[in-house]
Amino acid sequence: MVNGFVANSLQEALEIRTNHNVVPYGGGTDLMVENRPDVSYLFLAKIPELKEIKADDQYIRIGGEVTFTQALESSLVPPLMKEAVSRIAAPAIRNAGTFAGNIGNGSAKADSVLIDFVADAKLCLSSVRGTRVVDIDKFYLGRKKLDLQSDELITEILLPKTGLENYYYKKIGGRNALAISRVSFAGVLQMEGGRISSFAAGFGAVADTVLRFKELEAMLLGKTLAEAKEKKSDVLNAYSEKMVLTRGRVSAEYRKTVCLNLLNDFMTEKGI
Amino acid sequence: MNNITFTLNGKTASYDGSATDRLLDALRDIYGMTSVKCGCKEGECGACAVLLDGTLINSCCVAMGAVEGSTVVTLEGYRETERFAVLDKAFASVSAVQCGFCIPGMVLAAESVLAKNPKPTEAEVRDGISGNLCRCTGYNAIVNAILIASKEGNGLW
Amino acid sequence: MEKISQSVVKKDHADKMSGKSTYVGDYSNEGVLTGRMLRSKVARAKLLSVNVPELPEGYCYIDRNDVQGDNNVNIVMDDTPVYARETVEYIGEPIGMVCGPDRAVCEDILSRIEVKYEELEPVLDIKKAETVFFNYEYEKGDIAKAFAEADKVYEEEFSTGYQEQAYLETQGMMAVPEEDGRIFVHGSLQCAYYVHGAVMRALGCKPNEVHILQDVTGGGFGGKEAFPSILGCQVAVAAKKIGKPVRCVFDRREDLEFTSKRHPSLCKYKVAVKNGKVTAMDIDVKFNAGAYTTLSAVVLQRGIICADGVYNVENLHVHGRAMKTNTTPSGAYRGFGAPQTFFAVEMMMDHIAKDLGITSLEFKEANLVKQGDATSTSGIYHFPVPLPDMIDEIDKACDYRRKHEGYSKQQIGRYRKGIGMSLYFHGAGFTGSGERDHIKAVAKLHKYADGSVEILASNGEIGQGLRTTFPKIVANELNLPLDKVFYNHPDTARVPDSGPTVASRSLMTVGELLRRAAIKLRESWIDGEEQTVEERYKEPDFIIPFYIDKFRGDAYPTYAWGACALEVELDTYTGISKVLGAYGAFDVGTPADWNIVMGQMEGGFLQGIGYASIESMNYDDKGRIRNNSFSDYLIPTAVDVPNLKCMMHVEKYPNGPYGAKGAGELPLVGAPGAYVEAVEQALGNEYRLHHAPFTAEDTILALSGKEEKR
Repeated sequence: MVNGFVANSLQEALEIRTNHNVVPYGGGTDLMVENRPDVSYLFLAKIPELKEIKADDQYIRIGGEVTFTQALESSLVPPLMKEAVSRIAAPAIRNAGTFAGNIGNGSAKADSVLIDFVADAKLCLSSVRGTRVVDIDKFYLGRKKLDLQSDELITEILLPKTGLENYYYKKIGGRNALAISRVSFAGVLQMEGGRISSFAAGFGAVADTVLRFKELEAMLLGKTLAEAKEKKSDVLNAYSEKMVLTRGRVSAEYRKTVCLNLLNDFMTEKGI
Repeated sequence: MNNITFTLNGKTASYDGSATDRLLDALRDIYGMTSVKCGCKEGECGACAVLLDGTLINSCCVAMGAVEGSTVVTLEGYRETERFAVLDKAFASVSAVQCGFCIPGMVLAAESVLAKNPKPTEAEVRDGISGNLCRCTGYNAIVNAILIASKEGNGLW
Repeated sequence: MEKISQSVVKKDHADKMSGKSTYVGDYSNEGVLTGRMLRSKVARAKLLSVNVPELPEGYCYIDRNDVQGDNNVNIVMDDTPVYARETVEYIGEPIGMVCGPDRAVCEDILSRIEVKYEELEPVLDIKKAETVFFNYEYEKGDIAKAFAEADKVYEEEFSTGYQEQAYLETQGMMAVPEEDGRIFVHGSLQCAYYVHGAVMRALGCKPNEVHILQDVTGGGFGGKEAFPSILGCQVAVAAKKIGKPVRCVFDRREDLEFTSKRHPSLCKYKVAVKNGKVTAMDIDVKFNAGAYTTLSAVVLQRGIICADGVYNVENLHVHGRAMKTNTTPSGAYRGFGAPQTFFAVEMMMDHIAKDLGITSLEFKEANLVKQGDATSTSGIYHFPVPLPDMIDEIDKACDYRRKHEGYSKQQIGRYRKGIGMSLYFHGAGFTGSGERDHIKAVAKLHKYADGSVEILASNGEIGQGLRTTFPKIVANELNLPLDKVFYNHPDTARVPDSGPTVASRSLMTVGELLRRAAIKLRESWIDGEEQTVEERYKEPDFIIPFYIDKFRGDAYPTYAWGACALEVELDTYTGISKVLGAYGAFDVGTPADWNIVMGQMEGGFLQGIGYASIESMNYDDKGRIRNNSFSDYLIPTAVDVPNLKCMMHVEKYPNGPYGAKGAGELPLVGAPGAYVEAVEQALGNEYRLHHAPFTAEDTILALSGKEEKR
């Protein structure tokens, strides 16, 4: 094959990745838009290990080359992830697009990545040297900058097995389908013994990376819903101050207003 | 051997270009499958949609290397099937074809919808063709045609 | 239902459905050179030099120095060059074309061509534009008196943005030198004879030395009315020079940035109201023509003729100007100037009604024209104006009046609803005396010995069904089965000039010529013999002659009428307005084929809704169009307006075939007024909106009090 390698096993893929200057190719739906002329692709879609969705004691493990359509048809993938993924583009893109590709493209508009962030997902990055597990928010270093070594592949996305049931999700694109996110929001609430044990709010498509403000989320930890409700406007004000956004396809004003509206709505819906 | 081998409309095909070449270009320029149209070259319109291993994908966003060992079906192949005959009659009955440019992709999208879901609701049909832009029809006739095909094509899907 | 209206299987269905149709990009590559355009990178400059590197064997660079005839593309006027002259006037202006066998090599050569510019200050803001391409003014009645005596005078300004035709098949043309010395140009186009006239001039050759064929065309909507003349000249010049076939098919990005689109507009309305009725309108219309004149004169004419809408305004003054800016030249798009002014007048009437404390529909109804009333240009509405019935049809379909009343009550929740209605017409056919004095359409029928009949005309099938409806008309008069009558793609070498495929004229005007020709043939039919009959356009007697210098007379022989309602649910948290229902009632006379005409109504209506809501396009401070891909210029998908219902109301036009009248453009025209009125109502009673598209972002800004509040 000229300018390309097809790997049939993970080991084969990692060796090629180490020994050649290749661009990992999942579904092609991002790569082929630009299709730089001077590259070699490493085709990963035929590697069985990377196309599995499994559950172990702690995690739902989504292989890097699992497509969005595959995820939608799986009973293991959490509903929050399914909802986000169901809104990606259109069927033909979902049939090809992969989880690793969505992450590897490095964009804050990536719909599955927003969920990875609010779920505190972990990524398995493999190379011939072994596998390391990285927290998603440590993986994104800046706009299109990832903590991915040149010999590594994103092989698994680890989502928590439980805790994502009580969620809120909203994607705003320019139209109802075939739309790149302009603002996206995901919120997850967990209660333990009548008190908030986890409050996660992630904002996609409005900055260089997906945004979460864990120090602000902490404002509500340990509170009952009633107590949290009293603190709501403080929380919103704190977010308003923290969120300094710039213009993208839409104005900074639009981004910020909608983000805060959705954050508010998330809290309201959950009884806060 | 450097060639990429795949099945095109049921026949073995061998491609000796670059693995980074677009499937869309290979289909049109090398294999003469001109039913596959280029509307935008970035996966945003569905005019180039084909079936890759039975799944609807935009051929402008597929590199040839990804096609190794796979099957590709374009309208040139699909139009020989009984299912196509049902869709053909249905589309004709409501004059769903206007300029025709979106149609090859739209037909394969219809196949994709019905293959998964032989009796779709209108909403499911619309969702299934949501990645196929049409500027002429306003979509109503196309949606109706697919629903008619679903009703008339008993047992085929 | 009229017999002619009964739907048939379209004659081009089979080839298009099976993927066998050959569009210009589908012809074999063999021996064909690809042309790729060298384009200006600046909006306005003197072209100092173009340095082309040494070219590999088989590659050529073509520019104005290679133009064999005039370096002017005739589109009404002659200012558009085939290839740039001493200056460039917009980003993307074609300076030259690299031709060769391999596209990638052409692209590489392009990237190595050095162009030196002496940059000049571009004009990008229509408000600061100084060059007026066209300046029209007309009036009737006594404006000054009416304003002096008014109870109240209202003044508002409205604006509309670009709209891109977004035909699924991009622009493409191919030129082939033939063995007999002719140049054969074919491609994606609407007006074969327009291209013929232009190419003849550019090649400096005689009419029979070039012929133009319209290929299967993947959508036009006006975007391929004039533009193919430019591209046709460019490839023809190249092919003649090189002696080989040259084909240039645009990329989508190229097409989005550098081909003609709907004129952005700025309209000022001053309206006098007395005793609840409009007594006068003083209207100022500005269209952004872009860098060259192209079709701006005619677009502006139509826009200002429609400026007072469907209302009986006895005292009227309209001033229209097409301004030059250093941007992509604007051009024809379904509606052709009318969508812009209809949006403005409908919103103006809506705002006045709100001030008077009555519903916009009541106010509009009180001012509607009727049959027999004078038009804006002192012509006459000769035929019934069915708007009152159509309003009722809409009301029944979507419970408009009750909903409008309900939604006008204070809404404070997250989700708010609104419903708007727009009333409009489309002047059927070419503006003024153009049909009689310029087009002079000729259509022919040729009967073969075997009894089959071929239609010879130049109107192009662009999806609107002419290859079916023309034969239906002829077959009907000849009492022949439909498969005995056919209409192929026009080739100027074979067919007469029956005029362009524009202005919603093909079916109404040329269809009627064909009907008369068919009657002639039927009456002179001789079995077994080859026969040809010809029919020429004759202006109907009832038409009051139109004088363009004064804008007086019947601008159009008749009108297609439209009423549409849009119901939305606005999410105040996100700004998104979900379309709950879109209802359109259209009077285009007798449908020549029910399914075909319904398909035109549905398609046009959705285009209009897109124009009103999500189709946002503008340029940056350098003059470069920002929305240069389908991920940035958004047209509706199948899931954006799932509830779209069209109804047909038939008022037969006696001079159209079986009562048909101009249909293609009408359904787009009124959608923006209805949609923006709905969003305005949903926002709240204190809101007044003034522009289209009105996007989710605009909505959030409005809610934040940043604009548009009274």
